[in-house]
Amino acid sequence: MKRKTILEEVLDRGFTRRDFLKMCTALAATMGLDFSQTDQVVAAMEKNQRVPVIWLQFQDCTGCSESFIRSTHPKVESVLLNMISLEYSEALSAASGHQIEAALEHVLEHYPGEYILAVEGSLPTDDAFLTVGGVSAKETFLRAAKGAKAIIAYGSCSSWGGIPAAYPNPTKAKPITHFVKDKPVVLVPGCPPIAEVMTGVIAHIITFGKLPELDHLGRPKAFYRHRIHDKCNRRAYFDAGLFAESFDDEGARQGYCLYKVGCKGPTTYNSCAEMRWNGGVSYPIQSGNPCIGCSEKGFWDNGPFFVRRAKIPASQTTINPETVGAIAVGVTAAGVAAHAAVTAMKKKDEHHDRGE
Amino acid sequence: MSIPTNPKIEQKRTEVIWKRSRKAKHIELNDHMVKVYVWELPVRIFHWINAFSILVLMITGVFIGRPFVSASIQEEAYYSFLMGWARYVHFFVAFLFTINLAVRWYWVYKGNEHATSNPFRLSFWKEAFETIKYYLFMKNNKKHYIGHNPLAQLSYWIFIGLGSIIMMLTGYYLLFEPQPESIYGKMFMWVAHLFGGDSYSVRSWHHLVAWGFIIFTVVHVYMAFREDYLQRNGTMSSIFTGYKLERKKEALGEQDEK
Repeated sequence: MKRKTILEEVLDRGFTRRDFLKMCTALAATMGLDFSQTDQVVAAMEKNQRVPVIWLQFQDCTGCSESFIRSTHPKVESVLLNMISLEYSEALSAASGHQIEAALEHVLEHYPGEYILAVEGSLPTDDAFLTVGGVSAKETFLRAAKGAKAIIAYGSCSSWGGIPAAYPNPTKAKPITHFVKDKPVVLVPGCPPIAEVMTGVIAHIITFGKLPELDHLGRPKAFYRHRIHDKCNRRAYFDAGLFAESFDDEGARQGYCLYKVGCKGPTTYNSCAEMRWNGGVSYPIQSGNPCIGCSEKGFWDNGPFFVRRAKIPASQTTINPETVGAIAVGVTAAGVAAHAAVTAMKKKDEHHDRGE
Repeated sequence: MSIPTNPKIEQKRTEVIWKRSRKAKHIELNDHMVKVYVWELPVRIFHWINAFSILVLMITGVFIGRPFVSASIQEEAYYSFLMGWARYVHFFVAFLFTINLAVRWYWVYKGNEHATSNPFRLSFWKEAFETIKYYLFMKNNKKHYIGHNPLAQLSYWIFIGLGSIIMMLTGYYLLFEPQPESIYGKMFMWVAHLFGGDSYSVRSWHHLVAWGFIIFTVVHVYMAFREDYLQRNGTMSSIFTGYKLERKKEALGEQDEK
């Protein structure tokens, strides 16, 4: 049976070609493409078939799936129904039990090298912590990864290890990149990632048949190129040196910078400040809460959310560098004073010995 | 009990000087004393620019990390640019610090015997150990050094050498990380992998090592005054004039041998 192209699927569902073009334009914008590249998106959607997607969940909280289904541009239903064919998902599949497992087998067998594997959650290196139906998480993952065209790591857990890998990491959790080295992997970190970023990445792979441009850590540049801090709506207050000192002071009411209440914006790469959440309504900093840096590597171990800290290298311990530094200088000064006292005393003795 | 420095041993010539051929100049005062030109002008200029830079970088740096002053009245952002200026000053002085250090590295090869140091010798470490014993008021064989003693040299390797390199690499990474495509961004992107991978880890290094400089400064200033107090050879004034007052035998020991 000839598979229908995405355009044909859309027309079959009663949309007009005009609707289709609108969808493609919105999609190009979401993917971070130039307006002039819209025709490439249109061409791809006219020619390409829906791509089978397997969505596996390991040590996760389903938050990424929850975020994904709240995508507004493109609408999640247009992604799910028109662009991809979500063959296996623990959260969204209507089927269950043997039927859904059969659907998974069907994809692995019939579409090798064609399907996209989306992974949510980290994998334990100790199988005892995650084995379903006698099959370990690692085995399930490696089996699905073998024939995948590309793997998308959705969320901080699958990208960096996330909360399951946080100290003391009882399950010895590792990101998926620890287990698969020979497949193209795109990291979409965030706890959860922004819905439009999740759909945008998958749309890019479908449209162009390859991964989007990645940065040095393997994240798509279109969405993780900029720091929250550099695109922040409160940045002017930062440069002016106007800071909220606590959550209930006048500065907080005036919308001052949240740097002193622990904002991790200066060390966090994500598109929250540009794309925002819930269809572009707002994002944490705009709503008065400092960024917690959820899309950064090891974010759970980077100290408490509402204070500024520095991490002692190669540990999960964070300290206040100014306080500890000042104490260290104080101890040094005390040591110097004691040393000086002993020196002076001995010098006096020496003079005395010589009879001076 | 006395200060355990043996005058006989003190008069032994130092062994840890690397470029013996580049003898420091001296002026004879009388039969016993000479003025040795220990710190040449570029070394002194380096010293004071470096001291100034560290002071300014530390003040602005702590402000950037933990803004300790702020407008006392409610105002809108367009009235002031306090953090902006703190950052501008920090970056400008950082470049000054870097250029200054580069010139000093050049002077290692160009300057006199006291402008350099060679830790790749056993005698360096042996004498450094003797110096530690001296500072702990223990019996020791520390010699008298006209330039820096080996322990002091080691502290410069660690704080002014390694410390500066860590601060410059992490600092420039933090400065250029928002522009990864620019030439400067590309020059420093690799730094992240060396210091933990993510922006937060690189920043943590920058914040922690900064305090190493202040601890170094406290000890360094104390040691300089202490040396001046015990040796009475003009250690403190030498960083302004370049000259130290030394016994002729010690300063010109080699020539006596010939």
